[in-house]
Amino acid sequence: MFAGSRKLPPRPVLLALTACLLLAMLAASASGAVHIPWRDLPRLLWGTLAPGDELLHNVLLDIRLPRVVFSAITGAALALTGAAIQALFRNPLAEPGLVGISSGAALGAVAAIVLASGGFFLIAGSAFSGSLLATFLAYSIGRRYTGVAGILLAGIAINTVCASGIGLFTYMANDSQLRDLTFWSLGSLAGADWRTLAWTGPWTMALLAYLCSQWRVLNALLLGEREAAHLGFELAAVRRRLIVVIALVIGPLVAVTGGIGFIGLVVPHLMRMLLGAHHRVLLPASILGGALILTLADWLARLLVSPAELPIGLVTSLIGGPFFFWLLLRGKASGQNL
Amino acid sequence: MRRLLAVLAVLVWSGAAWAAPERVVSLGGSVTEIVYALGQGDRLVADDESSLYPEDAQKLPRVGYYRTVPLEGIVSMKPDLVLASENAGPPKTLDRLAQLGVQVQRVSDGPSLDSLYQRIEQIAGTLHAEAEGKTLANQVRDELAAAQARQAPARRAVVLVNRTGSFMGAGGHTAADAVLRLAGMENALASQNGYTPVSTEGLATLAPDLIIITSTSLQASGGLDAFKARPDVSVTPAAREGRIAVINDLLILGLGPRVAQAVSQIKDVAR
Amino acid sequence: MMNIPATPAIGITAASVSRGGRPVLRDATLVLRPGEVVSLLGANGAGKSTLMSVLAGELHVPPRSDSGLPFLNGKPLGALKAGEQARLRAILPQRSGLAFDLEVSEVVAMGAYPFPELAAGQVQALISQALARADVAGLAHRRYLELSGGEQQRVHFARVVLQLLAGQAGDNESRYLLLDEPTASLDPLHQQGLLQAVYTLARDNHVGVLAILHDVNLAARWSDRIALLAEGTVFACGTPAQVLTPANLEKVYGMALHVMDHPGHTGIPLVVFG
Repeated sequence: MFAGSRKLPPRPVLLALTACLLLAMLAASASGAVHIPWRDLPRLLWGTLAPGDELLHNVLLDIRLPRVVFSAITGAALALTGAAIQALFRNPLAEPGLVGISSGAALGAVAAIVLASGGFFLIAGSAFSGSLLATFLAYSIGRRYTGVAGILLAGIAINTVCASGIGLFTYMANDSQLRDLTFWSLGSLAGADWRTLAWTGPWTMALLAYLCSQWRVLNALLLGEREAAHLGFELAAVRRRLIVVIALVIGPLVAVTGGIGFIGLVVPHLMRMLLGAHHRVLLPASILGGALILTLADWLARLLVSPAELPIGLVTSLIGGPFFFWLLLRGKASGQNL
Repeated sequence: MRRLLAVLAVLVWSGAAWAAPERVVSLGGSVTEIVYALGQGDRLVADDESSLYPEDAQKLPRVGYYRTVPLEGIVSMKPDLVLASENAGPPKTLDRLAQLGVQVQRVSDGPSLDSLYQRIEQIAGTLHAEAEGKTLANQVRDELAAAQARQAPARRAVVLVNRTGSFMGAGGHTAADAVLRLAGMENALASQNGYTPVSTEGLATLAPDLIIITSTSLQASGGLDAFKARPDVSVTPAAREGRIAVINDLLILGLGPRVAQAVSQIKDVAR
Repeated sequence: MMNIPATPAIGITAASVSRGGRPVLRDATLVLRPGEVVSLLGANGAGKSTLMSVLAGELHVPPRSDSGLPFLNGKPLGALKAGEQARLRAILPQRSGLAFDLEVSEVVAMGAYPFPELAAGQVQALISQALARADVAGLAHRRYLELSGGEQQRVHFARVVLQLLAGQAGDNESRYLLLDEPTASLDPLHQQGLLQAVYTLARDNHVGVLAILHDVNLAARWSDRIALLAEGTVFACGTPAQVLTPANLEKVYGMALHVMDHPGHTGIPLVVFG
């Protein structure tokens, strides 16, 4: 549709995305399994509480609000790292799940749970190591082959090895570890409380801000590695930095949420279609778009089978899967080199 | 007169403090089953996906799978008590429930007879139904003793489950293993831990005298005749001598109040 | 370490470079001075790309007693960081792998990345100049992916032109442009156009240009000097008239040819193969 044709002006789009995001966060905070009438929201949030309000107040403040904020931050992080990975690999199909980075993080986290019955920091650190290793591997394998082949091969290899590793650890796990593993592997934003947010929130946002500042490098990488070097960037150092930062974002996220797919693929792609590939615009747009989509997806996950919840990974695959198909089918027609 | 009123007041107040929970959410199939067995089913307002017995349990609103329950979902049921199997999770969610002021009672849910009695006692105590608890425990004890007293030869047995297309066998530390041993049988897979895949050769090598397969697994395998005709099954002594038991999943894969039924069914086929 | 010329230049003296165990360059010398256009001619596999890679800072030449090191404006190339090199030297690759949806002006604007100190307004002005020099001014707001191969090549040329002009806005250093078969995807009209623009860069902006060209006659028409590469060494380097002799050319290309005076331009040889 928009490929190659006139792009939308960036500023109005970014403003519109921001507005939609705020609305979505408001709506997601206002609804859930526990029914809270709209008009009561202001009173419950910052007004004086009537006797029966205690529970609703707690639901809003302790359950819903941190979850909505967390889904926004997670969506932003997934989308932005997706865009960065696509520039690094020079391939619009690259995203953390496809390329094996998420399963590397998963393997790290699972190993920490089973081998060391680890607490939060150990699991997050182990997940970071796993994602770092996987990202390096994906990059090294990917650049040996031209075009799509490299990444897909890398992704298949890494995903397979990590799945086997995870299977092995699951086999070795005792009952209480299995309990931890089962919860965690289904992918969920339920782990969002203010305490987790206090650790992951600022950390993630700082790293995202850093990635945004690298828009020139990411643009230059689109030209090709040699050309980026000819424009004055120290390639080896840039590559290392980007890979480490991406792993630092993805690792802890996967440790808390268990891995949520497709956001990193769908959102940057949509934004490129609307706004073009210039990273100064693409990166903020991906942040906003990712936050918006995951907030909406989690809202759906909570509402559709209330009081139960759909696993968030399921909702994003239902959106992302068909989108991926559509991408592949239209690839030739648009002339864009996939 | 004033003293009488005071006594009445104390009685009424302590009665209120002792009021049994009226809105109970139960997490875990066995937990739910026991609540109903204690006659307290009408206090349940919600249960989980694994609560399949009795039939009434399936009519309640479900909050999801007991290993990953949603916090707000449970809160929306306005429970004053959550009865949670010790395997329910995520642990963090249950802690947050408690922080929100909901009483969370974790109950033993291991694959052993001791755990069963403990579970009954814990649930009965929390629901202030101690008398019913004792009755249920005794009933289970008596029925089990009766079932165990029946004569049946000790056989080498395996318990097979087919969920993914290939067979898994129940090893040690599973409820199925405990039931087998209660029925006086020997678990041919006792050396394995948990559920492990059973290969076609493996089954033939094990040469069990008695095969127990769950009803849904049998359905998934194409029915009894198809199952018996499988090459790895047909060479076993169990198949040749017609000792294949089809037992309801809930009865054999868990150790609940109806364990005596499972034991009887096993012994019937073992003869 | 071999002698590095004191006057501004980019080049290497007596380079010996091996790739994959096989010697590619043997005692090759090439020095490029600002303001001149030098063409590098040779058969496939003669070592042209390797020599250019050395000057592009891509190939690390290990210090050996029998091999010189590449230098740039009086310093060894290896001692300059990527950013410093990019401020003095621009490179136009043979083919671009850009497959993402950018606008033409956005692609050209990247030429300013080695110069983050420039204000946005300055960069905009430079973009206009560069687009005009590359004869793609009318394409400024088109999507890069919609252009033909030749148009895309000229967009990249505009980008490297901007990279050179941007540097000159700030200082008087001598700058250099390396072109790897820049006319390969262009039609005759635009081939002449690009080389004319290159010539103007050299004369008016005092840029030293090294171009790998396949077309001997284009090289003869537009170069101040031609370097002939065969068997890994530059065995002749001089004006087109001096260097384009039948003997030399046969050594380079290994086939029969005729050299005559160009009917349209006096003093410039015309080479006909076959």
